[in-house]
Amino acid sequence: MKKFLKTIPMKLWMILCALIVFTFFSNDFGLVDIQKTALVLAAGIDRTEEGFALTAQIAVPKGTDRTTGGTSSVEIEGSGETVSECLADLYAKTGWVPKLVFCDLVILGESAVREDTFDCLDYFLRNEYIPDSCLLAACEGSAKELLSSTSAIDDTSALALEKLFSDAAQKSGHVMVTTLREFAIGYFGESHSGYMPYVRSQAQEGDAQGQGGAQSSGDAQQQKPEEKIYTARETAIFSGGRMAALLSPEETFAFSLLEGNVYAGTFTTDEKTYVILKNKGDISVRVQETPEIRLSILCKVQIYGESETASPEHLAKGELSPEEEARLSQTLSECLTGLWNTCAESECDLLFFRRSLKRTSMEVYGRWKDLPLSSVAVSIDARAQSLK
Amino acid sequence: MKLRSRQILFFLALIAPVGKLVLMPAQIVSVSKNDLLFPVLAQLLVQAALVFCVLLLARRERTLYSLIESAAGTVCARIVTVLFSAFLLFAAFLPVVEQKTLVRSIFYDTIPAYLVFTPFFLFSAYLCARPLSSLGRMWDILAPLSAVGLAGILLLSAGSADYGALSPAGAAGVQGFLGGTTSSCSWFFDSALLLVLIGRFPYTRGLAWKGTLCYLAGGGILLFLLATFYGVFAEIAVIQAHAFARMSGFFSGMTVLGRIDYLFIFAVAFVMTFYVILPMQGAVGTVTEAFGGKKALAPLLSAGVNLIMLILVYLFHFHTSQVIRAITGTLFWIFPVFSVLLPLLLLLIFGRRPHEKIS
Repeated sequence: MKKFLKTIPMKLWMILCALIVFTFFSNDFGLVDIQKTALVLAAGIDRTEEGFALTAQIAVPKGTDRTTGGTSSVEIEGSGETVSECLADLYAKTGWVPKLVFCDLVILGESAVREDTFDCLDYFLRNEYIPDSCLLAACEGSAKELLSSTSAIDDTSALALEKLFSDAAQKSGHVMVTTLREFAIGYFGESHSGYMPYVRSQAQEGDAQGQGGAQSSGDAQQQKPEEKIYTARETAIFSGGRMAALLSPEETFAFSLLEGNVYAGTFTTDEKTYVILKNKGDISVRVQETPEIRLSILCKVQIYGESETASPEHLAKGELSPEEEARLSQTLSECLTGLWNTCAESECDLLFFRRSLKRTSMEVYGRWKDLPLSSVAVSIDARAQSLK
Repeated sequence: MKLRSRQILFFLALIAPVGKLVLMPAQIVSVSKNDLLFPVLAQLLVQAALVFCVLLLARRERTLYSLIESAAGTVCARIVTVLFSAFLLFAAFLPVVEQKTLVRSIFYDTIPAYLVFTPFFLFSAYLCARPLSSLGRMWDILAPLSAVGLAGILLLSAGSADYGALSPAGAAGVQGFLGGTTSSCSWFFDSALLLVLIGRFPYTRGLAWKGTLCYLAGGGILLFLLATFYGVFAEIAVIQAHAFARMSGFFSGMTVLGRIDYLFIFAVAFVMTFYVILPMQGAVGTVTEAFGGKKALAPLLSAGVNLIMLILVYLFHFHTSQVIRAITGTLFWIFPVFSVLLPLLLLLIFGRRPHEKIS
């Protein structure tokens, strides 16, 4: 008995430890009352005369007319002077408490990016329950239209859009993805610049009404909403929070190469497609008498496809001739030049020239921070080398 | 039962850094910006020197109370002990508030119930009633947990960090350094915590040096964590109130693996719970010793201390920022008085005896 009594403190201690673990780390035991909670998958923001309109794509636990699998969702719009008020409006309209912890995508409509975007992104940065790793994208037209559109590849447009921003898509070099954290760092940093993928939607080709369908289901086909496919091969660049310009797909690819993101991405020029198997990108700023920005990329490439028939020996090697290497290098240089010119003309410090100046020294930064980007000397070095 | 010197080293290397990972990084960034490492380095060096001093005092193998009592009498010893305990309770308030905000913000998806943190005080009341010597076994268990937690967080966040954001060094100037140093005083009172423990562990050969080196090693981990934190958040670091729990969320594998970083965050938060309670436990332990050590005294004191702390925490629930500003801004000087001046004074009085060698 005495022995048992002696062990009571230790047992009590263990019970209390277990209790504290449960109460601290339970996260309410992960229970979500789905009838009262709106799980927001994506948010779209448009600017209105009143302030903002926020379209929340909410996952719903019920079947829709498309119950073949995937996630069902509804789009609900809230409006107000601030994004926070939009969410309160959404709550007032539906009685659902918006839960943003699963919100992985914020889409800004054309109207939202015309002015400083941080008056609406500010809410997402402040809110402790929204991950700073959520993706940002700008879109053609309104964000509401985009989120409300029917995707050809997924039941939920937000999930279809997120596929565009996957790791594999990033490695292809054809899309430049950014998160709230990265955009905010660029915005609040010395360069006051950033970027977002620019999403366009278009009707799926071959999805004409009645195409391939039986005549008997003609009525159903008539009522079926137009299915859309999305692309994000262009990149919207921002200066001071406003959209300053749009990078073409080639410039976006050059930007990806500069960031060193590309692995197994393809690039087509002169009727030949090359695959980038190794990519090194570097942006450096040197200050001697005047500052100079140096953009360099080095790629190891292979021929991946040609518009004309090649011999089996040539196919087996996939090597580039010296002329092809020179031509590809020149094309990539032109893309880099186009990228720099677009940034310089729109005074968007996308490549963080001013940040690099500051990192060199405060003295150098103080002297050159007001230098217009169009006056900065640029040195471009793009080298494509055949994989031997 | 006594503490072992190994357990003291565990505390200095792996438990002490954990208490500085919640609000302190953002607080220092708000003043020192990209130079946040320098004030912390200065604090670490000062505390390391003080840890050395306190461990030298520990050679006498007498507790703080008995040391003062032998030199200045019971009344004086009791007064000093009560004052020192009051300081420990004051110092405990900020960590408790930090723990509360961490639990409410990180472990819940939406704002949780008002009283969700209350069970902490139940746990704390029990722990505070336990003798200080029981800390040793805890540290034996918590030290590996802390090592795994900190290593995991660093591993997952280092890839997202741009360490170039820390340059140019010295951009915040002397003012930034001094401001960062003063505002971080509230988190650097480890020598005072160690003072509570002297006389409760045997001094082994070279413990003073080993302790200092372990504290510096822990400091190195802290500096690396802070550098990574600033590398991850750069200009927006100032708004990241729960530093260690935020920085690992950008690991690229997270999309496939899910939030595995929570395993490490849980581990560190668990260790932190014990660190947060330590000053209160120290206060109860020293006062109990000073006033006779009756069996019922420690539980009574523990209940009282935790009840007061609970009332204060919820009383200031909607004034948290103001309280933090007051402790780190207006009242910061209280910390050096008890964690720098008191150990130095004690060392002067009770330090080296003539012809004694420091081993």
